[in-house]
Amino acid sequence: MAETSIIFSDVNERQGVFSRRVFLMGGVVAFGLFALTGRLAQLQLIEGGKYRRLSSANQFNYRLIPPPRGQILDRNGVVIAGNRPSFSVLVMRSQVKDIDETLDQIAYVLPQTLLRRRAILRDINQSRRFAPTAIATDLNWEDFAKVNLYASTIPGVDVSMDEVRVYHYGGAFSHVIGYVGKISDKDLKAETAAAGDEEQLDPILLHPGFRIGKQGIEKAFDKDLRGVAGARKIEVNATGNIIAEDSDGMRPATPGEDVVLTLDAEIQQRALEVFGEDSGGAVLMNIHTGEVLCMMSAPSFDPNLFVSGISSKAYGLLRDYERLPLLDKCIGSTYAPGSTFKVATALAFLEGGINPEERVVCSGSYRYGNRSFACHKRGGHGPQTMHDAIKNSCDVYFYHMCNRAEAGPDRIAQTARALGMGHVFENFEIAGQKRGTIPDREYKRTAFKNDPKWHPGETLSVAIGQGYVTTSALQLCTYIARIANGQKAVEPYLVKKIGEVEKVPFKDFKDLPFSRAHLDIVRAGMVAVSNDVTGTAYRNSRLNLGNIEMAGKTGTAQVRSYDKVTNRRNEGIPWKLRDHGLFVAFAPADNPKYAIAVIVQHGMGGSMFAAPKAREIMKLALIKDPEMQARIIQPMPVDPNLANAPDQPLTSDAAPEPLDINPSPDAIPPQ
Amino acid sequence: MAESALTRPGQRERYQNKFAQIDWTLCLMMALIAGMGSLVLYSVGGMSWDPWAYDHLFRFGLCFVVMIGLSMINLSIWLSISYWAYGGSLLLLVAVELFGKVKMGAQRWLDIGITDIQPSEFMKLAIVLALARWYHENSAKDANWSWKLLVPIFMILIPFTLVAHQPDLGTAMLILITGVAVMVAAGLNWKAIATAAGAGIVAIPFVFTFVLHDYQAKRITTFLDPESDPSGSGYHILQSKIAMGSGGLLGKGLGLGSQSQLNFLPEKHTDFIMAAVSEELGFVGGASVFLLYGLVIFMALRIAMLSHSHFGRLAVAGAIATFAVYVLINGAMVMGLAPVVGVPMPLLSYGGSVMLTVMVGFGLIQGVKVHRYQELPRQNSIFARFE
Repeated sequence: MAETSIIFSDVNERQGVFSRRVFLMGGVVAFGLFALTGRLAQLQLIEGGKYRRLSSANQFNYRLIPPPRGQILDRNGVVIAGNRPSFSVLVMRSQVKDIDETLDQIAYVLPQTLLRRRAILRDINQSRRFAPTAIATDLNWEDFAKVNLYASTIPGVDVSMDEVRVYHYGGAFSHVIGYVGKISDKDLKAETAAAGDEEQLDPILLHPGFRIGKQGIEKAFDKDLRGVAGARKIEVNATGNIIAEDSDGMRPATPGEDVVLTLDAEIQQRALEVFGEDSGGAVLMNIHTGEVLCMMSAPSFDPNLFVSGISSKAYGLLRDYERLPLLDKCIGSTYAPGSTFKVATALAFLEGGINPEERVVCSGSYRYGNRSFACHKRGGHGPQTMHDAIKNSCDVYFYHMCNRAEAGPDRIAQTARALGMGHVFENFEIAGQKRGTIPDREYKRTAFKNDPKWHPGETLSVAIGQGYVTTSALQLCTYIARIANGQKAVEPYLVKKIGEVEKVPFKDFKDLPFSRAHLDIVRAGMVAVSNDVTGTAYRNSRLNLGNIEMAGKTGTAQVRSYDKVTNRRNEGIPWKLRDHGLFVAFAPADNPKYAIAVIVQHGMGGSMFAAPKAREIMKLALIKDPEMQARIIQPMPVDPNLANAPDQPLTSDAAPEPLDINPSPDAIPPQ
Repeated sequence: MAESALTRPGQRERYQNKFAQIDWTLCLMMALIAGMGSLVLYSVGGMSWDPWAYDHLFRFGLCFVVMIGLSMINLSIWLSISYWAYGGSLLLLVAVELFGKVKMGAQRWLDIGITDIQPSEFMKLAIVLALARWYHENSAKDANWSWKLLVPIFMILIPFTLVAHQPDLGTAMLILITGVAVMVAAGLNWKAIATAAGAGIVAIPFVFTFVLHDYQAKRITTFLDPESDPSGSGYHILQSKIAMGSGGLLGKGLGLGSQSQLNFLPEKHTDFIMAAVSEELGFVGGASVFLLYGLVIFMALRIAMLSHSHFGRLAVAGAIATFAVYVLINGAMVMGLAPVVGVPMPLLSYGGSVMLTVMVGFGLIQGVKVHRYQELPRQNSIFARFE
């Protein structure tokens, strides 16, 4: 080598440096490998349990099996709300890499999803991370089969076969049983609050096929109807495709309980039918038990629209229609009861010690202070006892009596409340009852800060069911039931049975604080309304069911102030301004069993427009009642004239309408 | 007969003697790692030789032959081609910059007609050779605080910048660390190292904001908090940790690792193979692999110490440093200690080009072992005339 010694020393020196540096490098690498092994030990030996759990959470999935929702049946076992199968396509957002591409692939099979792309994306973005989103529902079998074939090749897409709610009677029950709908954030919050925290929340609530009760019975008995979700334990791979199913991990779903109602589907349908386009509500109940056989609000809507989500356009139409189809007019809205209230007023008079035989001469109007209060009959009714006054619905009689010391607004209010008005029924199953108003001095004091004093003139309005008085159809029906059933404070109820558990009806109703004799007097007045040819509802109360008669009371509640209008007739004025027509009744008149209240919103006269509806509904209830069979089927007394002249053809007057058999048109008062 | 006894001229140049000088223990360790890789590839391939296990073994065999062949090459030839290899690789990197093919958002490949090549792979070895030669011919002492220090620095920074710009941060870092390792091994003084380290730390925020691509920055932020986005960028790290952690002491057994078998583990056959090993073979399997790597590195460093030529020493140190950096970065990455940078586990991961690069490196190492007594003159230094 040609190198100098200096270079040699350099060589030796740099070899020494190199050796030291290599030791260092070796040390660094050894340290690094040691650290890695330590980390491996930490992951595998110390934190192993945690990662084993995570690993099996990755590997195994529980797929919920939604439980079939319990059915809602009528009193005879007819299915009102049932389930039908529905096929849908679900997307699991957490398993989808490119959502647009996935939707494109689905659109290839289901072109209809293209049109809804924007809404689908919005739903997907709003969904919870691990909850699937339904992107197409209610597929027909052919589409379902196609998607089913392709779904396994598109990651994150799944198909499901669920059941969806179906309401067989459409609008007839929509207010009472309500409907189910997609769970809203508000529902979820309420459920979370009820469950304690999010961990406790039933996972079925997040299932896209799950529907929660939104209204009526569906809402009130949601927990019973819901059932318990089952689960399948399945092994999945990273793309969420099912590798295997663990049959040991299968837990079947428990179906929800069936709810049997006191309602009768046929009567309910009949009620909807007789209302036609009219707006209002009808409630029919058993006066002894409180079972509600019919509770129908018209016009109605198809609850099936809400199950899969109603379009905002359709919803807008329902919401904005002036006859308010979404409103339950039986409990959710109150109306001035008008003359139907007079039975309660009369009972208050009797309880206040007024002699029912005392006569008041009706001259057509009543002067109080410097104001004249008109009777509905311009010419006046002449001398009226209480019985006459109820029968004729004579306003002047009630004007005259109501400010007597023993009567007065407080006693009227007390009586009305005892009869079921002015408060909600605590045990009634569905929510949304309105209290209505039964005014007394206390009410005036608290509600009218500017004018807290009760003016005796106001008693006059209250006595005839006007003024501040408002009641719901359910209250009116209960009130008539209490009048009719002897002396019991009956309470209405809707649910007979939940699952196999018979719901104990309220049997031991309290006695009403009225004397039986007084109740008999006002009942007799109601019998006369329908059965005395001069009664206000004689013509429209004819049941034509053997010897079963109805006893009722008409009511016409003014909506506008009559002071300012000269034309008190309802024809030709806007619907909104027409009077409400009301009719309350019980039947049979001699041995009452059913009570009915019908409110026809802006239906003009109670006698002309509400009574015929009540009659038809009541008629069906009586026909369907086996106890009534004997009385209905008994042979009609044969008219000897007809029997003697068999050749004489039946005149058209002999049609089944009872009013044509006993025509006495002159005797029918306009009210 | 001991090697040192072979003193007759030309005797050491006989191939059968050279062949005997190959470090067969090291070869055995490498074969064990590759075999372990093949076993796990067999498992994650669905208990099948297809598609990975057989290929892996075959590639290892082929590269092993290449390694043996390279180990026969005289060190003076390695020395003489080192600048050419470096220059050629640099030209190819520039060509990539100009005419490279863009695949998956990065311009790393060069189409040479037959196949696509990745010049950054060549550079990993070329940088080692070039630096080893430079320090062989120049005294590190001279190059501590003088203009001479700039030569190795630029030798590293030019390819580093080119590769980082492709962008391929993993390989760029590998080139940087390897180069620095050779410089340190050559005797770079601590003051220079400390200055460079200080400058590096100061540069981090600038690199983060101005140099790194969004996805690169995101990888680093994700690494710092992987659970923040479990199905996004943190997914890989989290799934890898779940796979390893759930393996326990003895593992779930070959073919029974739910994370690897059901595809929860990403890149289970390449970058994340260590997670599959740990899941199926447990801590015992994982620690054994690290032990094997440790032995391989230890043996290579021993070879470096044995070499009589400074070039040989530095070349081995550089080559094994590349290897060690692969192992440490990949190991840290799969266990959530480093960002996901796409560095495979050498010999274990499936992948042809890395296998080739690593085995060529071992060819050099074995060559140094075989030619450890060879003295190399310090002539040909382009700087020698100025001394």
